[in-house]
Amino acid sequence: MKAVMIIYNQAHSSVVMEILDNCNVRGFTKWVDVQGRGSVKGEPHYGTHAWPSKNMAILAVVPEEFLAPLLKELKAENNAAKEQGMRAFVWEAESVI
Amino acid sequence: MKIYESAVKKPVTTALIFVGIMVFGLFSFSKLSVDLYPEIELNAVMVMTTYSGASASDIEQNVTKRMEMSLSTVSDLKKITSVSKDNISMITVEFEYGTDMTEAVNDIRSVIDMLRNFLPEGVENPVILKFNSTMIPVAFISARTSQNVQGLYKILEDKVGNPINRIDGVASVSISGAPQREIQVLTDPRKLEAYRLTVEQVAGVLAMENRNVPGGNIDIGSETFSVKVDGEFKSSDEIKEIIVGSFNGRSIYIKDIATVKDTLKERATEVLTNGERAATIVVQKQSGANVVDIANKIQLELERIKPLLPPDIQLEMIMDTSEFIKGSIGSLTETVLLAGLFVMIVVLFFLGRWRATFIIILTIPVSLIAAFIYLMISGNTLNIISLSSLSIAIGMVVDDAIVVLENITSHIEKGSKPKDAAIYATNEVAVAVIASTLTIVAVFFPLTMVSGLAGIMFKQLGWIVTIIITVSTIAALTLTPMLSSKMLRKDPKRSKAFMFFYAPIERGLDGLDRAYERFLTWALGHRLLVIFSALALFVSSLLLLTRVGTDFFPAVDNSQIGVTVELPVGTRVEHSRELNQYLYSQWKDKYPEIEVMSTTMGQSDGSNIFLSMGNSGTHLISYTMKMTHVNSRKRDIFEISDLIRKDLEAIPEIYRFEVMPGGSNEGMGTGGSSLEMNVLGYNMEDAEAVAHQVAEIMKGTEGLRDVKLSRENYMPQLKVQFDRAKLALNGISLTNAATAVRNRINGIITTQFREDGDEYDIVVRNEIKFRSNIDDVRAILLYNNQGRAIRLSEVADVIEDFAPPSIEHLDRERVVKITGSVYNRPLGDIAAEVTTAVNQITLPANIVIKTSGAYEEQQESFMDMITLLLLVIMLTYIVMAAQFESFRDPFIIMFSLPFAFTGVFAALWITGTSLSLIALIGAVMLVGIVVKNGIVLIDYINLNKERGMSIMKSVVSGGKSRLRPVLMTTVTTILGMVPMAIGIGEGSEIWQPMGIAIIGGLSVSTLLTLVVIPTIYTSLHVREMSKKRKAHAKGLKLKNAR
Repeated sequence: MKAVMIIYNQAHSSVVMEILDNCNVRGFTKWVDVQGRGSVKGEPHYGTHAWPSKNMAILAVVPEEFLAPLLKELKAENNAAKEQGMRAFVWEAESVI
Repeated sequence: MKIYESAVKKPVTTALIFVGIMVFGLFSFSKLSVDLYPEIELNAVMVMTTYSGASASDIEQNVTKRMEMSLSTVSDLKKITSVSKDNISMITVEFEYGTDMTEAVNDIRSVIDMLRNFLPEGVENPVILKFNSTMIPVAFISARTSQNVQGLYKILEDKVGNPINRIDGVASVSISGAPQREIQVLTDPRKLEAYRLTVEQVAGVLAMENRNVPGGNIDIGSETFSVKVDGEFKSSDEIKEIIVGSFNGRSIYIKDIATVKDTLKERATEVLTNGERAATIVVQKQSGANVVDIANKIQLELERIKPLLPPDIQLEMIMDTSEFIKGSIGSLTETVLLAGLFVMIVVLFFLGRWRATFIIILTIPVSLIAAFIYLMISGNTLNIISLSSLSIAIGMVVDDAIVVLENITSHIEKGSKPKDAAIYATNEVAVAVIASTLTIVAVFFPLTMVSGLAGIMFKQLGWIVTIIITVSTIAALTLTPMLSSKMLRKDPKRSKAFMFFYAPIERGLDGLDRAYERFLTWALGHRLLVIFSALALFVSSLLLLTRVGTDFFPAVDNSQIGVTVELPVGTRVEHSRELNQYLYSQWKDKYPEIEVMSTTMGQSDGSNIFLSMGNSGTHLISYTMKMTHVNSRKRDIFEISDLIRKDLEAIPEIYRFEVMPGGSNEGMGTGGSSLEMNVLGYNMEDAEAVAHQVAEIMKGTEGLRDVKLSRENYMPQLKVQFDRAKLALNGISLTNAATAVRNRINGIITTQFREDGDEYDIVVRNEIKFRSNIDDVRAILLYNNQGRAIRLSEVADVIEDFAPPSIEHLDRERVVKITGSVYNRPLGDIAAEVTTAVNQITLPANIVIKTSGAYEEQQESFMDMITLLLLVIMLTYIVMAAQFESFRDPFIIMFSLPFAFTGVFAALWITGTSLSLIALIGAVMLVGIVVKNGIVLIDYINLNKERGMSIMKSVVSGGKSRLRPVLMTTVTTILGMVPMAIGIGEGSEIWQPMGIAIIGGLSVSTLLTLVVIPTIYTSLHVREMSKKRKAHAKGLKLKNAR
C-alpha cells in the first residue's frame, strides 16, 4: 500500500475528484483551504489579498498497482495548467488497520 | 457554501430566480402609472377669514395680526404670508417640505379654535383651505362657437362635461366662459315709486309665487290621494303676469313695473380661443390618478362627443398636461435605450468577445427592471426622476460584472476549468466589488434622507440607484459567474471577419497600454513637477467658478406661455375686448409658433376655485398660448416671450403686464425662475418709496423682465356714507339702508326657475340705465317702517373715492414684494448685482430689504447640497478606509476629487451652462463614481507591493494592468450619460446640467487620476520605505557595534 498526498490549487478540485474516480481510488481524506508555496517557481497560495488562491490537499492510501495510472493522469492535468500548481508525493504506508 | 459557489453549482435555480425578478419587474412596469414628477404634497395651507365691513387695515390689526401670532407657534413652519384686504384676511402658512400635512392642518385647526373667542364680534369662522395637487387642472378643453353662445353652457354641460366627469379618475369638470342662463327682472325705479313698491317686495312676491307645496294626504274610499299645489313657474313668460300688488283697486303686474328677460348673466368671464368666442372646460383629476391615462380617455371621449355636438361648436384641447409628460417620458426612454446601446458597444470594443459582452450586458436589464419592483411596492409613479435615475445607473451597473468577468477570464486563460474558475475567481474579487458598490451606495443612500424640495426630487433617485447598484452587484456575484461557467471557453475561436475589424482595435489598445506605461514611468521620475502642475490646474479651475453662473433649476421649454395684461383699473370690458382683438391679430402673424391662443378676460364667475383664486376684473386680460412641438420650431418660449414683452411695451395704454414662459403656474422645473425682493417695514409710505427704488434698480438690471410691485393700485369706488343721525331720524337702520342699495345695484335673488331638472336664478334689480351714474345711486329710495319713502341723497353722501390697497405680511411683518422674471442670465448673477445696488439705498428707519423667491430656495438647497457633499465624502472615506484598513490609501484616492470638480466647472463653463441644483447633484454623485477608479488602481498597486515588487514597479505594472478596466468602466459611465447631456426631446433641459457635470468631472478626473494618484502614492510610500531602510540600517549598525 502506498500513501499519496496530492496538494493542488483549488481550481483543480473538480478534475482531481474525477481522476480519483477514474483510477478506482475510493478512500481518501481531503483538507480544504490549505496554504503553501512551491519550492521553485510556484506562486504562494495564501488566501490573502495579495495571493488570493488557495490549495486543497488529498491523502489517499492506494494499492501499488493503482499508483502509476493515478500519477500519470495527475501529471497530465498539471501540465495542462502549469501556473495553477499541483504536486503529488508518495510514500510507504507500512500498515493499515 | 458561498453565494457564488451555490450559484455556479445550481445554474437552474440561479437562472430562474433572475427570470422571476424580470417577470415580476415587467409586471410591475405594466402596473405603474406615469406622471411628470414624484407625488409632492403641496406644503401650504390657507386660512381665510371674512369680517364684513372691515377695511384692510382693520382686518390687518384685528384679525390677521392675531391669527399670525398664534399660527406662528405651529411646528415645522417655514413661513407665514398674508394678505389683508377689505372684508377678508387670507393667511398662507407654508411648511417645510415633507411635513405631514394632515397633522399640520389639525394643528392649525386647534390653534384657530383656541383663538376663536379672541377675534372681534362679527368675524366669521375662519376657513382652512389645504392646497392639493388635484386642484391643478390636468386639461383645458376649449369649445369655440360662432352661433350658439346662448345655449353653449347647457350644451357643454350635458354633452361634454358630464361624460368627461364619468371618466375614472376625473374629480371635477367645470365650465367657464360660457355665460349661464339667468332670468332677470329689471325694474324701473320710477314706476316702482309711482306704485309705492320696492325691489324687495317684488322679489318676495316672486319667491312666494314660485313654489310647489305638498298639501298632505286624504283618504277617499279605499284609496289615499296626496294633495299638491303646483305653483312653480312652467315657463319664464309666466313671470311677467304675476301680480305684485294693487294700486287704486287695480292689480299691478310685473310687466307694468319691470321687463323680464330670460337671458345670460351680466358679468362673466369671457373666453376666446384663437380670437373666437369660446368656453373653457377645466378638468381636474383625483389625487393619485394617472394623468396620461385620463388624458387619453378624454381624447377618446372627445372623439366620440364631437359628432354629437351642433356643427358650429369646435372642441379643442388647449392645455393637456399629459402631452408634456408623454414627451418627456418618451425622450427619456430613448435616452435609456441609447445609453444601453453605447455601453454595449464599449464592452464589445474592450473585450472583443461576443459571449463575454452578452454576459455583461445581461446585468443591465436585470438590475434596471428590479427598480420597477421598488417603484410599484412603494406606490411611486414612472416619472422623469425615476427614469433619469435609470439612465444615470445604466453605465454603472456593468462595472461589477466587468471586474468579475475579467478575473474569471484570466483564470481560464491560466488553465482552470470554467466552472472552477467561475467560483474561485469570483471569490478573489468579491470583497473589492462589494466595497466599490458600497462607495456608490454611500453616495446615493444619503440622497434619500435629504430634506426640503431637493429631498422630494432626489429621494427616488437615491433609492433607485441604491437598489439598482445592489441588484447589479448581486447579479455580478451570482449570474455572471454562473453564465461564465456555462458559456466561456479557453481560447475561443474568433471568426476571420471579426478579427478583420477587431485586430486594429486590439493593436491600438495594446499601444495605449504601452504609451501609458512610458508616460507613467516618466511621471514617477518627475513627481514634484506632476503634482505642482496638477495643483496649478485645480487652482486655476477655481477661477472658473466666478465665471459660471448659478441657477436654481434649469429653465425648461414646455411649449406654454402665459401672459397677463393689466389695463388701468376700472377699464370697461368693451375696451379690453378691443385691445385683445388688436393683440391677437398682431401676434397671430408675428408668431406662427402659436398653435392655440386662449384669452380670458372680465370678471371671474366663480364657478371654479382654481380660476377665481387669481385676480380678476374687467381690466385684466390673460392669455394662455400653446406652442407647436419643441422640435418643430426654432425659437424657444423664452425668446418668444421676450419678443412679446417688446410688443406689449410699445402699447402705452397698458398699465403693466407679465409674460410667463412655461405657463401661468410657476411649477417646479418649468419655465423660468424669478427674483423676489421684499421690503419689510410697518410704515407704508416709506416702504412704498423704497420699493419703488428697488423696482427701478431691478428694471435697470440686465436679465430681469416684468418687474412688478405686489402692492396693487387703488381701486376706484363710489362710497356711500350714511349719516347715522339722519338715518335714525327717519327710522331706518344702516343695515336696511345698505341692503337696499345692494339689492338695487347688485340685485336680489330669492328664488330659482326650474326647467328640465336645472335651476336658474331669478334676479331682481334695477334696469341698467337706472344704475349707470352717481345720481342713480343718490336717487335710490329707502322705505322706513312707516312706509315713508326717503331719497338716499337725504340721508347719505355719495363720494368718489379709492379703495385702500391690500396689506401684505411676510412672517408677521408688513411687506412690499418686488418680483422680476429672469431671462437669459443666471439667477445668481442677477441676485448678486441687485443686492449690491440695493445695499446702496439709504433706508428709512425700520425698513429692511430681503431677497426671496427662487433665489432664497436656491441658497437653501445649495447649502443642503454642500452639507450632503461633505457627508458623502466622509462616508466614502469610511468605506474605503475599512476596505484598505488604512488611513493613508483612501486619502490618496481622495485626491481624484478636486479634479472631478475642475472637470465640472470646465464643462459647465465651456457649454455655458449655469451651476444649478441638478448640476450640484451631479457633482455629489461624482464623488462615488470617481473614487471607484482610484480604488481599482490602488487596490492592484497594493497587491503588487504585497507580492514583493518594488514601489515603482508595483505602481507601473499595477497601473498598466488596471488601465483597461478603469477606462472601460469610465467610458461606459460617460457614454451612458451622453444622451442625457446632449438633451434630446421635451423636458430634457432639466437633466442636461447633470449629464454635462458628470461627463466633464469624470473624464478630467479619470485622466488625472491615472497619472496623479500613482505619483502621490509613490511619493508617500517611498518616504515610508526610506524610513524603514534607515531603521534597518540603524539596527545593523547597532548589531555591528556590539
